[in-house]
Amino acid sequence: MPEKYPNGTVRALLLTNQVTEVTRQALTERLETSYRKPDFFSETAFGLLKAICRRLVPQDENQPHIDIAGGIDERLVQNKSDGWRYDTMPADGEAYKLGLAGVEETASLLFEASFQSLSEEQQDEVLQQIQQEDAPGETWKKLPANRFFEELLAEATTNYYSHPLAQEAIGYVGMADVPGWQRIGLNQLEDREPKEIMINDE
Amino acid sequence: MPYSTSETVDAVVIGTGAGGAPLLARLAAAGLKVVALEAGKHWNPATDFATDEKAQEKLFWTDERLSAGADPIPFGSNNSGIGVGGSTLHYTAYTPRAQPDDLRIRTDFGVGEDWPIPFDQLEPYYDEVEQFLGVSGPSPYLWGPTRKQKYALGPLPINGAGQLMQRGCEQLGIKTSPAANAALSADYYQAGVGHRKACTNRGFCQAGCTTGAKASMDVTYIPLALHHGAEIRPESFVTQLITDGSGKIREVIYVRNGQEERQRCRFVFLCAGTVETARLLLLNGLANSSGQVGRNVMAHTALQIWGEFDEDIRPYKGVPGALISEDTHRPARADFAGGYLLQSIGVMPVTYLSQMARARGLWGQELKRAALAYNHVAGINILGDCLPAVGNYLELADEKDSRQMPKPRVYFSNGENEKRMTAHADKIMRAIWDAAGAKNVWAFPRNAHIIGTCRMGESADAAVVNADGQSFDVPNLYISDNSTFPSALSVNPALTIMALALRTADRFLEQRK
Ligand SMILES: Cc1cc2nc3c(=O)[nH]c(=O)nc-3n(C[C@H](O)[C@H](O)[C@H](O)COP(=O)(O)OP(=O)(O)OC[C@H]3O[C@@H](n4cnc5c(N)ncnc54)[C@H](O)[C@@H]3O)c2cc1C
Ligand code: SF4
Repeated sequence: MPEKYPNGTVRALLLTNQVTEVTRQALTERLETSYRKPDFFSETAFGLLKAICRRLVPQDENQPHIDIAGGIDERLVQNKSDGWRYDTMPADGEAYKLGLAGVEETASLLFEASFQSLSEEQQDEVLQQIQQEDAPGETWKKLPANRFFEELLAEATTNYYSHPLAQEAIGYVGMADVPGWQRIGLNQLEDREPKEIMINDE
Repeated sequence: MPYSTSETVDAVVIGTGAGGAPLLARLAAAGLKVVALEAGKHWNPATDFATDEKAQEKLFWTDERLSAGADPIPFGSNNSGIGVGGSTLHYTAYTPRAQPDDLRIRTDFGVGEDWPIPFDQLEPYYDEVEQFLGVSGPSPYLWGPTRKQKYALGPLPINGAGQLMQRGCEQLGIKTSPAANAALSADYYQAGVGHRKACTNRGFCQAGCTTGAKASMDVTYIPLALHHGAEIRPESFVTQLITDGSGKIREVIYVRNGQEERQRCRFVFLCAGTVETARLLLLNGLANSSGQVGRNVMAHTALQIWGEFDEDIRPYKGVPGALISEDTHRPARADFAGGYLLQSIGVMPVTYLSQMARARGLWGQELKRAALAYNHVAGINILGDCLPAVGNYLELADEKDSRQMPKPRVYFSNGENEKRMTAHADKIMRAIWDAAGAKNVWAFPRNAHIIGTCRMGESADAAVVNADGQSFDVPNLYISDNSTFPSALSVNPALTIMALALRTADRFLEQRK
């Protein structure tokens, strides 16, 4: 996908006094986080989780990688909750472990191979069947497949778009709010808001 | 610490949100010795709050709740807060008044419950709260009875989403107006509170206001309460209410820094919010001779319709709920009881994208493409009445949380009335967005604000508290929060919770004279 907004906007703003100190700290820390080794998941389960996240939120190979799976592992090892869960689901950690086993089970029932050895199209087929509650496997009799998928997708999306680099890509600079916003109507931009790069699709 | 735990204070207030803070200030102003116990921290917004959604997750109540029923309610960031100021730390500060007919839905439609309080008893408190908070809004106001007082300040500026909704509504002949918001359109001074600066349109109200422009309780009624000598004990989690032989509560037990502490008191005001107030009463086996504690859970119909527009919107700017229409308050030829309001909405990116992922189930390149449209999206939201139903209630689960307390399980399913109202609103909002030029329109079905569980009423058989908020069973226990509403109302709850809190405090003070 061609870039819609220029690179580097958020990173440049973080160096200015248009961002508060607390905001700068939170975002800089996230920018500097390197890959996480799993504490909650086994190496194998974590590898699978990473492979799934690559399909849910594909990342550009030429850009620095955002560690979506690492954020999930970190939350689970700290036993943090978002405050609720579907009553039909087991506790978050158990749901993840069970669900990941289910993904493997479905992959092997459909393609007689492990998820990570499948082609991208086959991987997507497995995930789609889980999302639509069509996936074969004993696991899904114990765990509602669509809810597992929904929770995983919501958390992956949250982790990805909380990252300053993902925010740059969608042209979001709301963190630079120290001067406030005066130009708030339709088509009104302030100087620090990036303009779209016009893309010629032809 | 002004008061010691060995001393018997006049009142303990549990929780410092919309229901607790105004009442705390009122009791303190009357010269009572009051202590507020609050589970969360006392933040300093200027130095503690980041303009970042993830960093601000600390404002939400994250002890896990179990969501059951056909339409399970998401809690956490969708529902309730923790900290001195409660859920007002992250409310959007949209503050419409209820209309008189909201309080008599049973009389008018034969369903739901009437309020034991007529509108004219709430009205002076609406006036007072609006003036004190510095609510910004249009005067005159287009809907409801003629206002006795103007809004404290003129309306806030309209952002892109508001302009688009205006455009669509104009073509359909739906009246709109700038909304009432408890955020300052100009600098404001209040005795006992001091100066607060005007809103800078940073659009982050749902993740905490760093400037003090938004009237959350921590910058309004809490400073007033402190000014009048109240004590606030943050990070104090209440677990037990101890009664004596006469059935009155004599002591409140809470956990602070991992230690159990006790506070002796003459009266208790329970203001812990719809879920925690009911959970505390059920855990302690109190105030439930009616069997109504935990029953009558209601949640506003709150469907959102999102669209993408050619115009640059940048939905993170301006107060999120800039525009309102109450033309749908009692729609003509409706096939449902009650009604709803329409509200334009801006949105922060992570909130928008994660709810889009959930509701549309988009992933892979489709998700990435939809996310690139973020700067071009605008939403309309309804906020509508919800009827109580036997299947909608709160219970204690067997499963324990990290404090070793039973988790609350909340059952919620939309009934026929909510479904019809939502279908009606779906049509109207799509028509508005069509007229305004939206593409890729999609619906986010949801319910917002959890209401009920400790209903107020006239009879001890059918309600938990009387019209003054006083328990029928435990004479020195009062409840002041969203749990006591007998009906959900067709407007956002916070302003009414605050007005009712002041009324409860005044009724209590009158009785003691
Ligand atoms: C994202 C969001 C936006 C919203 N926007 C609006 C809006 O624009 N307009 C509107 O009218 N409403 C809005 N609301 C709803 C509004 O915030 C609530 O209805 C209102 O704050 C509820 O008031 P309350 O007093 O019942 O509870 P709360 O304000 O939640 O206060 C309860 C307090 O009790 C404390 N507590 C709970 N249990 C204990 C315990 N055991 N011990 C000690 N303390 C305890 C909690 O920490 C909390 O501080 C919004 C809500 C959310 C989630
Ligand atoms: S928009 Fe205004 S009220 Fe809301 S957070 Fe920003 S400054 Fe505060």
